[in-house]
Amino acid sequence: MIIPRTIRRMKEKMGHKSGPYAHLFEPYDGDEVVSLDCETTGLDVKNADIISIGAVRVKGNKVLTSERLDIKLKPPKTLTGDSIKIHKIRAVDLEDGIELEEALEQVLAFVGNRPILGYYVNYDIRMLDKFIRPKYGFGLPCKAIELSHVYHDIIKWRMVGGNVDLRFDTISKKLDIPILERHTALGDAITVALMYVRLKYGDPPEVG
Amino acid sequence: MPSSFNMDNLPFSLLDEREQALLRQTLDIGYFQKDEVIMQAGSVPEGVYVVLKGKVSESEVHAGEADRQEHIYVHYENEDYFGAWSAIKGNAIHNFIAEVETICHIIPTKTVLDLVSTNSSFADYFQQNLVAKAEIVEQHGDSQDMAEFMLAQVGEGVMRAPLIVDEASTIKATTVMMREKKVDCVLVKKGTRYGMVTGTDLLNAVVLNECSIDTAVAEIATYRLISVHPNDYLFNALIIMTQQQIERVVVMRENELMGIVDLTDVLSFFSSHSHVIGLRIERAKTLEDLHTAAHGLNDLIKSLVSQGVKARFAMDLLAAMNGRIMAKLFDLMVPADMQPHVCLIVMGSEGRGEQVMKTDQDNAIIYRDGLAWKDMQEVMNSFSKQLMEFGYPPCPGNIMVSNPEWVNSLGDWTQKMSSWSVSWAEQDQMNLAIAVDAKPVAGNPALFKAARNWFFKSLKNNDAFFSNFAKVALEFSTPLTFFGNLKDRGQLDVKKGGIFPIVHGVRTMALEHKILVTNTFKRLEALVEVGAMTDKHSKDLAEALGLFIQLRLRQQIKRAEEEEAGVDLTPNTLDLQSMNKMERDLLRDAFHIVKGFKKHLELHYHLGSR
Repeated sequence: MIIPRTIRRMKEKMGHKSGPYAHLFEPYDGDEVVSLDCETTGLDVKNADIISIGAVRVKGNKVLTSERLDIKLKPPKTLTGDSIKIHKIRAVDLEDGIELEEALEQVLAFVGNRPILGYYVNYDIRMLDKFIRPKYGFGLPCKAIELSHVYHDIIKWRMVGGNVDLRFDTISKKLDIPILERHTALGDAITVALMYVRLKYGDPPEVG
Repeated sequence: MPSSFNMDNLPFSLLDEREQALLRQTLDIGYFQKDEVIMQAGSVPEGVYVVLKGKVSESEVHAGEADRQEHIYVHYENEDYFGAWSAIKGNAIHNFIAEVETICHIIPTKTVLDLVSTNSSFADYFQQNLVAKAEIVEQHGDSQDMAEFMLAQVGEGVMRAPLIVDEASTIKATTVMMREKKVDCVLVKKGTRYGMVTGTDLLNAVVLNECSIDTAVAEIATYRLISVHPNDYLFNALIIMTQQQIERVVVMRENELMGIVDLTDVLSFFSSHSHVIGLRIERAKTLEDLHTAAHGLNDLIKSLVSQGVKARFAMDLLAAMNGRIMAKLFDLMVPADMQPHVCLIVMGSEGRGEQVMKTDQDNAIIYRDGLAWKDMQEVMNSFSKQLMEFGYPPCPGNIMVSNPEWVNSLGDWTQKMSSWSVSWAEQDQMNLAIAVDAKPVAGNPALFKAARNWFFKSLKNNDAFFSNFAKVALEFSTPLTFFGNLKDRGQLDVKKGGIFPIVHGVRTMALEHKILVTNTFKRLEALVEVGAMTDKHSKDLAEALGLFIQLRLRQQIKRAEEEEAGVDLTPNTLDLQSMNKMERDLLRDAFHIVKGFKKHLELHYHLGSR
């Protein structure tokens, strides 16, 4: 828990008490989480832009791929050579992308007040907040669930004294979860969702 | 959009692009732990499950924890789908349990129903209609290319446009024309009939018969033409050519001449060597020659089956080949002056043309009443011995010409058939069942026809006979459980459970309707023609029988290869473990058809009180 963020969230909640987004600040009492992933042009939140957003709902032991978000955005100026090599998304692939404002609306509507699940999820949340805050006057208030923490919490009891390898590919291999589509926002979101469900409902993975 | 879902598998490959998009749109993914119940019998299923990773077992409704192992009858692994039937019914019929950790795609029931309503072949796939399923598998199966290639129809490809000359055309003019068009065969139209003239005919006419070259070709043409339908399988055309010892057949649709199919074209179309063996049989002048030809047969069948030719068609070819071998052997061994007075018949599966591996000799001799030929039995003994050397094992029931019981004059033969038909003894009934499938293969077929016609006449209105005869078809139980699943987990006798009831039931009905053909598939077609059976019923039975034979043959060949002696000791056993789920499903459906047929026989022949 990050203190400044908590305080800020309380402040923002007060500020939007009667606004159209008040429901986002309600505590969530359902059984769903939203697995979310953004593909961006870089790893530095200040300078990077979002190029696509993928999200799926997870309910119990099911990954509801039928309820999902698969957003492509208009190509930003920062879309250059280096990041293209990683996510293999070129400007032409984003030709029919939508405007950022429209995308943010969709994200807010889809996520609601559900917890957000992700792999290094704070990066994605900060990325989204960077654009949400100037427009709406608040950041995503949802609870965040960090997959690598969930994994670490389970693994650490079996790996006393060692460093836990938290790389995406390692986790998926340890959990024996097929990586569906690496480096597409939706594909990663689904894989993370499956890993989460596997950790939550399956036996602890073997370590060694 | 999860592209992890493989659309290439049946039945999803049957969907068009729009339907696949709808499917992807509505797909969910479920994660199940080891031993978790995915679908509970009696519950409302969420939809159809497709295994992405893991293993799921389907088990019977009342399965308790302790003895669950015994009740499991199907396993689903990667990319198998399950629960389709339950989803459509809206109520799970079995328990589906994850054997290991399992990830499944879930297609919601609503989507399945939508797809079923818009796409009929997709819908068919989920229905338990055996014919439809088998056809879909056939069209989309792995062996697609080979099967299509071997099942090409006459009308596609190899048929040539006929060259037709008018009646007045002379030998000279015709020869010039044939040379110009580079063909070896023309048709002459005489009145409404067509005659065929080949290069050889022209040569014989001019050189041997010393006809003038101004003679009209209409005079030397052959008018008894063998024709096939453009929809016939090319394979059948080849069989006809082998049987009739000809090199060309004409293609007729109703009364319209479509074209000519030439042997060389068919041969170049089939790269297999079936006709080569046929030719070798034909050209054999000595027993040794014939011996070599006979031994090529098994390899031929193996190669045909491995190329995906349906057993049904391989059977037809083998029957034609076996017939030719026996006829040739008969020619070589029986003195020419005796040949018009004796008739060699084959019986049982050989007579029906339904054997795929060379099996027992089931043959007999009918000779003219009062024939004086003192060496006859001796010749017959060596005939049987010779066949054995060719690789036809002796008949365990000793139904072969080396047994004097089966060498009869026409009078004795009819007498025997008649006494068998009124006897209730098991052996007599069996003899009769074998004898009514008889087919003449060599000698004078008129003797056989006389015997058969007499027998049909004597059966007239003898209801007691038919009901007694039909009874045997119900003797063996169908290997299905109370819940309609395959009974035997490991080994299953497909002859008792499936083949025999169909063959014998159809045989009885064919006798009742005086149908002359002996092949079960043809009998089924004939029964539809005389109105004794519905078309659907007949097709289902044919499909089921075809499946039994196909599965049996495949395992037979496999076992024969594994055995050192090259002989399969348990020819009628099916090993369920070595079949995939689709085959087991088809097999189960086929047994359901057998069950229905037995019910029908029971009603029809008043056997209900048993």
